[in-house]
Amino acid sequence: MANHTAEHELKWHTSYWPLIMSVGILFFVPLAFVFYFVYENAFLTAISLGIGAPLTLISIAGWIREGFEDIHGYNQGLSVWAMPVFIVAEALLFAGFFASYWVLRLTAPVWPPLGTPHEMPFLVPIMMTIILVTSSVTIHMAETMLEKRKDMNWFVIWLFITIILGVVFLGLSVYEWIELYHEGFTLSTNVYSSSFFSITGFHASHVLVGIGIFLCILVPALGGRANLAFVKSASMYWHFVDIVWLFVVSQLYFWK
Amino acid sequence: MSTAVESKTREGGFSLKEWIFTTDHKRIGILYLIGSYAAFAVAGIMAMLMRTELSSIGPTITENPNTYNVWLYFHGAAMILGYQIPALTGFFANYYVPLMIGAKDVAFPRLNALSVWLFWMGIVLALLTFVVPDPPDIMWTGYPPYSVITQGNTALYTFTVLLIGFSSIAGGVNFLTTIIYMRAPGMTWGKLNMFIWCILTAFIIQIIFVPVLGTAVTMISFDKYLGTTFFNASMGGTAVLYENLFWFYSHPAVYVILLPAMGIIYEIVATFARNNIFNYRGILYGGIWGVVALGGIVWAHHLYVAGIPDWMSLIHVFLTLLISVPVGLLMIGIVGTLYKGAIEYRTPMLYAVGFVFLFLIGGLTGIPNAMSSIYIHITETYWIPGHFHYVMALSVTFAIIGGTYYIFPKMTGRMYHEGLGKLGFILLFVGANITFFLTMVLGVRGMPRRYYDYPQFPEFEGIQQLITYGSYVILAGSVVILASWVYGLVRGEKAVANPWGSRSLEWTHTPSPPPPGNFKEVPQLSEDWSPYGYGNGKREEEKGEDLEPARP
Repeated sequence: MANHTAEHELKWHTSYWPLIMSVGILFFVPLAFVFYFVYENAFLTAISLGIGAPLTLISIAGWIREGFEDIHGYNQGLSVWAMPVFIVAEALLFAGFFASYWVLRLTAPVWPPLGTPHEMPFLVPIMMTIILVTSSVTIHMAETMLEKRKDMNWFVIWLFITIILGVVFLGLSVYEWIELYHEGFTLSTNVYSSSFFSITGFHASHVLVGIGIFLCILVPALGGRANLAFVKSASMYWHFVDIVWLFVVSQLYFWK
Repeated sequence: MSTAVESKTREGGFSLKEWIFTTDHKRIGILYLIGSYAAFAVAGIMAMLMRTELSSIGPTITENPNTYNVWLYFHGAAMILGYQIPALTGFFANYYVPLMIGAKDVAFPRLNALSVWLFWMGIVLALLTFVVPDPPDIMWTGYPPYSVITQGNTALYTFTVLLIGFSSIAGGVNFLTTIIYMRAPGMTWGKLNMFIWCILTAFIIQIIFVPVLGTAVTMISFDKYLGTTFFNASMGGTAVLYENLFWFYSHPAVYVILLPAMGIIYEIVATFARNNIFNYRGILYGGIWGVVALGGIVWAHHLYVAGIPDWMSLIHVFLTLLISVPVGLLMIGIVGTLYKGAIEYRTPMLYAVGFVFLFLIGGLTGIPNAMSSIYIHITETYWIPGHFHYVMALSVTFAIIGGTYYIFPKMTGRMYHEGLGKLGFILLFVGANITFFLTMVLGVRGMPRRYYDYPQFPEFEGIQQLITYGSYVILAGSVVILASWVYGLVRGEKAVANPWGSRSLEWTHTPSPPPPGNFKEVPQLSEDWSPYGYGNGKREEEKGEDLEPARP
């Protein structure tokens, strides 16, 4: 270790991907949003997305590759301890939305406000809950296979099942939103619909990010490489998304 | 691994690639430094424009009140989001933390690089204010309903906050992990530098509260562009909800800024007074953790006149007055460290003493503000900007500039110009006090804040002019300060590893400037080592052996 350490302190470390990723993010989200919603200019929006999306995706791929080669050579495994800190921040993000929803709901003169359908969906959210809880179990299985049994084949299979469950969950979410839209329950109907779509939308975006992280694990895993600390952190994140869903479903769907 | 490591480091030459793609914490720190001082400069120019506009009744340099609003927006947003928070939790955290705890780098160097570049993208987005046809005009607070109905570009504000906020969260994750898991052997919790404790707690506050600001600013853009109804009273929403969410973050943000500033002052004071920190444990548990415990539950003192229930005001009056206890402990710690010290008034020390004076005025003028019965009479007057400029802008800027002077030899390997440094301090101190003391005087006499013009108050024109002259003195001081650094960079004498004779790790164990990887070998700290082991005020003439410099 000592020799190795001395070896790589000779030069300043560099990485291309952080700068490329931040430029990508700037075009992909803020500029595209501003061009589309503020200036309503489809051409500039397309250009922004055209610059931002490839840069972001390339930098994610490059970053992961670099992570496996690990030219920095130290501090492996600390992500397991960093993820809980990040999850606290994420939890507070949802807390902000939930707090707003609770304030708006508890101070409303009548609830549900005008424009809400008589029956909020019941069966689909139950199915979604079952799917997401199952996916928490399957990712735990994948993690166990990798950590305890060092079995890459079963690890990939369980991971793949988790991704499929996540995609099905997202599909049901979208189906649900379309149904509600047809019943006249849209973003701007009332405070309930605003909270409903914001919170479920934010949660769905977290599911999407989770699936993205799993794909980032799956692709190298097919080539036989896996980083246990990264898998553990991803699994932790997924459990968190699962727990948030229990709040979403109980507060937004089933609280009459 | 020994001298060979040192001699092979890059000699002299500048490589752009090694700067913009760097993952080294020291270089990332310098990128933060450049970005945050650039934001300070542009936001400072906005302040000069506003002061010039206010120097006489009637249009002075602009006829369009909305232009004034845009200046006001940019001044506030860039000073807080682009200058203070990144300078303290970006530059100082990056430069000091791994050096002070004896680590090679932070836990996630690439994530660290992503943080700094996201912050720069936030600055780019903020600067678009001067390019777009519809610049934001919503102050840095972005209160609805105005921010939702204005013709200005609220989305720019939202995304500036979100980018810099995400950068802060990434930084928080990184530094909390670094401080907890990467301390050198022997660096126990009881031996950490004051600055490390302050930055640790500042990041804990960031991690908890930044996301809530994120939701608040996201909701105003949702309301404006996607048609949600969170803050739309005609649809069952409520604008006070935004004010609660906003100040739920933005009051703790004051402590995110204050705590690292205090930490820097502690480092400077201990070094230049050759004294152990007075009451280390008391300050740590009572002062620093006390601020963390109370910081998140006093936000409603910004909302006394916003229409919140009386019981809520009452609780927050009590809690706000209570928080002066931990902050007072922090101040007593500084004064106690000075007591019976062998004080040496180099430029950083002057800034530390200036900090104590300015923060005392800022803190004491805050006490009447905390009481809702007094607040009703002074709110929306110049008293409020006077108070918060003392407590946030001036004292924290003195800590940032003093800290920059303090770390200048370590960072650049050269000494700044001492004479220009002292002159700059005097100009800045005098200008700042003229400007903001008179601002408070004008506030007590009834001048309302945020006004672009004041034909109804002709009697205030004289003081307004004096305030404007004061702000020009600040500008002159800033130029002198910059000159002392530029002189130091170009012509300054070579700095030894430990020009201040400090006992802290970043001065004693690594040359100026530190090489990649910081330390030749992992520092091993003995049982009786302490970053403040000065033997209580006895000046020892030894300046520490000169370590081999990284660059010839």
